[in-house]
Amino acid sequence: MKCPLEAKGDEVLLAYSSRKLDAADVPTLEGHLENCPACRGFVQAQRTVWNVLDVWEPAPVPADFDRRLYQRIDRHVSWIDRLLGPFQGLGLGRAVPIAASAGLVLMAGLMIQRTPAPQPQPQHDTAQMEALQPEQVVLALDEMEALSQLSRPVHADSKM
Amino acid sequence: MDERVNRDVGAGVTDRDPDADLMLRVRDGDGASFGVLLDKHRLPVVHFLYRMIQNHAVAEELAQEVFLRVYRSRATYEPSAKFTTWLFRIATHLALNSLRDGKHERLEERLDETSGDMPVRQVADTRPSVEQSMVYRTRLDEVRRAVAALPEKQRAAVLMHKYQEMEYTQIAKVLDCSESAVKSLLFRAYETLRARLAHMA
Repeated sequence: MKCPLEAKGDEVLLAYSSRKLDAADVPTLEGHLENCPACRGFVQAQRTVWNVLDVWEPAPVPADFDRRLYQRIDRHVSWIDRLLGPFQGLGLGRAVPIAASAGLVLMAGLMIQRTPAPQPQPQHDTAQMEALQPEQVVLALDEMEALSQLSRPVHADSKM
Repeated sequence: MDERVNRDVGAGVTDRDPDADLMLRVRDGDGASFGVLLDKHRLPVVHFLYRMIQNHAVAEELAQEVFLRVYRSRATYEPSAKFTTWLFRIATHLALNSLRDGKHERLEERLDETSGDMPVRQVADTRPSVEQSMVYRTRLDEVRRAVAALPEKQRAAVLMHKYQEMEYTQIAKVLDCSESAVKSLLFRAYETLRARLAHMA
């Protein structure tokens, strides 16, 4: 067998070190290892690395992981998901035009709502008109009285 | 003819990958199947992210983001590859982004945080002595530093190869590179780890 290290075939040695080499290839490699210190050293060092990496066991996942995840899912379901929700099974090809149409209808509704309301008259003009009106009434009454006096007939025996 | 071929490809993937079948059920509105996938992959994803980032809080946050993205992608899911390939591609992408965004943090700060890492395989009715705990902590610290010192893609490749027992082809799909590139990553990573950790035999 050609030396795996010389042939740059260390994946064979990696597989053997982690006990994943095909069973059919093991006897041939082990025969080579008996005569090759370099490959033996590689396997020994790699098995040490493997065993040491096994020591590293992270902490357990917190019990509330799933609850927090589902809360995030609920929060992050976007308005797009809500809009497309009824159309999920249609496939993107049909959902997009339908969603676009729905969006246009929505925009049209918003625009219609924006028709300007009739503007009330400015407050200061109204106040002025209200203030003028009594004066105009008094003036009108004075004029009416003056006109009524002028229209009285002049009698002959009126004493001067 | 094309439809039959496509059906066969899709059916072939799900025949070999029950997780892909579950995800297709999620796509069709079966929320319980998402729970099954979560139960199965929660721990591996969290542990992978922790070993990449070496920060429990960040790893959990990223793991939640992974599953959130899986859920949000349900409507357009297509089983073009193994489910775990897709899952770990999302996880690796988020981990690499997080590492790059957090580059201003001193690695020592991250490694010195109080770790919740557990001694492995304790016998149920014996507790480690103080000395054993100290030896364990020292070895663990050395392992963590050695892995943290690896370049990010080498680190990801080693973690997937060692702890997820992924084949080279699957790691290549996760990292979006060639199989020969994966072999090169692993060769250099393990060479570095042998140099740093072989004395711990």
